[in-house]
Amino acid sequence: MDVFVTVVLVVVIALVFDFTNGFHDTANAMATSVATGALKPKVAVLISAVLNLVGAFLSTEVASTVSNGIIREGDGGVQVTPVMIFAGLVGAVIWNLATWYLGLPSSSSHALFGGLIGAAVIGAGVGAVDFGVVLSKVVLPALISPVVAGVVALVATYVAYRITRQATLRGSTAGFRHGQTISASLVSLAHGTNDAQKTMGVITLTLIAAGYQGAGSAPQLWVVLACGLAIALGTYLGGWRIMRTVGKRITDVQAPQGFAAETSSAATILISSHLGFALSTTQVTSGSIVGAGLGKKLATVHWGVVGRIASAWVVTLPAAALVGGLSAWLASSSTAGLVVVAVLALAGGLAFALLARRHPVTHETVNDSDEAPAAERVGASRGRGE
Amino acid sequence: MFLGVDWGAFVVVFATALAATAVIVTAFATGVRLFADGAVESDGGAGAAVPSGGPSRSRPLGATVAGGLCFAVGIAAVLVGLWLIVPQFH
Repeated sequence: MDVFVTVVLVVVIALVFDFTNGFHDTANAMATSVATGALKPKVAVLISAVLNLVGAFLSTEVASTVSNGIIREGDGGVQVTPVMIFAGLVGAVIWNLATWYLGLPSSSSHALFGGLIGAAVIGAGVGAVDFGVVLSKVVLPALISPVVAGVVALVATYVAYRITRQATLRGSTAGFRHGQTISASLVSLAHGTNDAQKTMGVITLTLIAAGYQGAGSAPQLWVVLACGLAIALGTYLGGWRIMRTVGKRITDVQAPQGFAAETSSAATILISSHLGFALSTTQVTSGSIVGAGLGKKLATVHWGVVGRIASAWVVTLPAAALVGGLSAWLASSSTAGLVVVAVLALAGGLAFALLARRHPVTHETVNDSDEAPAAERVGASRGRGE
Repeated sequence: MFLGVDWGAFVVVFATALAATAVIVTAFATGVRLFADGAVESDGGAGAAVPSGGPSRSRPLGATVAGGLCFAVGIAAVLVGLWLIVPQFH
């Protein structure tokens, strides 16, 4: 009975995590398209949601471990229990909601790794975590990804403006908007194949650990379906707060910049994952937008906003680890403790949702840049132009 | 290998992404330029969603063909992208 309760709670929280993942990462693919007016906000999130759902069905191969080697799992290591997975997911969800409330793009994978690390340290001691792998798979890629994507986008933006005479040629704005829509859609599809798969893996490995499913078997249809729908629903409901930051507040993205940024993101993400050097979607797209800002003459990059995002990336892992650790400590005591954690997590999530309602960001206000100087605000509203 | 990262693979990723993006963006922007054939967007390109009406003067056939070829590079890149994304293809 205890095992069943635990598994049910893990499945529920995993789907909630999947939802927040889609919710959070809508901005990665669609923020620039919304900012440049290439797509109306509601249309952008619908396209992204459908492509995420399609992506979930395309790729259902499950990794052999939950943490990709960050936690020393298996022979001679620790046993990652469903309770630890549950606690890790609670940490990841709470951190995702916190960064959403603050309107900051941050990696959902890093939040998940952070939560699992916290849970593993509490459950099995510091030795359970392979900090070499943390460095090589989390910390260094987080430093490298935005720089790579930023340089590529900077060059691309410069080239795009140079060839079209600062985008003054007839049809250039419309042309770049079309191009941007297509490259942003590729980013969405790639996101669906990667991120929905992550949650499928977590649920499937939990079912295997609990003995409900044979080791090494593929995800069951209901798992694939539930994960695809959760990420698509999250994407559709849209993290408008994050989109506004990414599309308007880092720099006021114009059509050629949006095209250059999305093309750079799509190329960097696809090539890196194909060559087995997968880079985080969030970090690549954020870097691309900074690069696109730097590549245009006289465009302003708001380094204060960039600094806030960078700080959030630094804090993601430890913060999620802290919540994950506390949850693991409470949840591993008894089934009652587990339920208490679930209730507290629910309360925490509701608290962020209520806080956000006090100054909401919707599809109607997603392109406001009220922190920017007045001159830029005029430019932003002209850019919307409809 | 330094700090657990395969820096050689990383350089390959960086160079390939840079080259691919440069080719795609150059081709696409050149296509836009050829299709415009020197005409300038009426309001400086800031707000116009769609250029109004058809071409104000006829575009030379050469520019249309060359522009079409440039956009074909973009279409090819999208197909390669799809091939990379969908695991069933490889």
